[in-house]
Amino acid sequence: MSETATTDATLRSGPGRLLVAVYAVFALAATARGTYQLLTRFDEAPLAYGLSVFAGALYFVAAVGLARAGRTSRMVALVCVAVEMAGVLVVGALTVFWSAGFPDDTVWSNFGSGYLFIPLVLPALGLWWILTVHRADRS
Amino acid sequence: MVDWLTMTIQMVSLGVAVWCLISFFRDRPMLVPHLIGMGVLWLLVLGQVGATIAAMVGGERPDDFPMFVSYLATIALLPPACAVWGFMERSKWGPAVISFACFVLPVLLVRIEQLWSPVV
Repeated sequence: MSETATTDATLRSGPGRLLVAVYAVFALAATARGTYQLLTRFDEAPLAYGLSVFAGALYFVAAVGLARAGRTSRMVALVCVAVEMAGVLVVGALTVFWSAGFPDDTVWSNFGSGYLFIPLVLPALGLWWILTVHRADRS
Repeated sequence: MVDWLTMTIQMVSLGVAVWCLISFFRDRPMLVPHLIGMGVLWLLVLGQVGATIAAMVGGERPDDFPMFVSYLATIALLPPACAVWGFMERSKWGPAVISFACFVLPVLLVRIEQLWSPVV
């Protein structure tokens, strides 16, 4: 139905619309949680809380990149989503094998098990969607 | 917080979530009934937020006050924000957005209820 839209808008329409919504909610959740914990309990687990804020910022930039949907924004979103994918895998593995370094949980701990593994699935969907649009755009 | 209101919101929210999920699988866009459903849900949420603010003005405060207020603001803003975002999409992905938001809302309510009375 909305296939007649310009290529600039395709990234945010269809499945992209849902992705932006999920990213926005996760940006809010991770940033709010991390900031609050950094402000109130910085000494307990600065690494974990700092990581939450960083993850939240990444989700936010990815959401904006997906929603703006220009060529540059697409690249920005792609980089953010790729870093997220790496982040959730590395932090997930670290929290499983080296739990002493993370006394408190982050969104990425144990591959995002505290958030129904959405943090693990989300970047995969994001990569798939951005690359799909990118390919459609080139041909 | 009003317990029965929390329960009602969770039920209505899950109901709207399933309804929108069905619309999604039937390839329907967001229509006026969906919007009315979201409106009803938002009114219930605002009622709960209002009652909670009244209770807080009356002196009843959770221990983790800043956290509680940020959750309260989030649940108040989530339904309209997602409704607008979903309604802008004139395809089956509109109901998908609303469905996601309506699945998140009950989870947020569980968390905020824990903050309000931690002894549960």
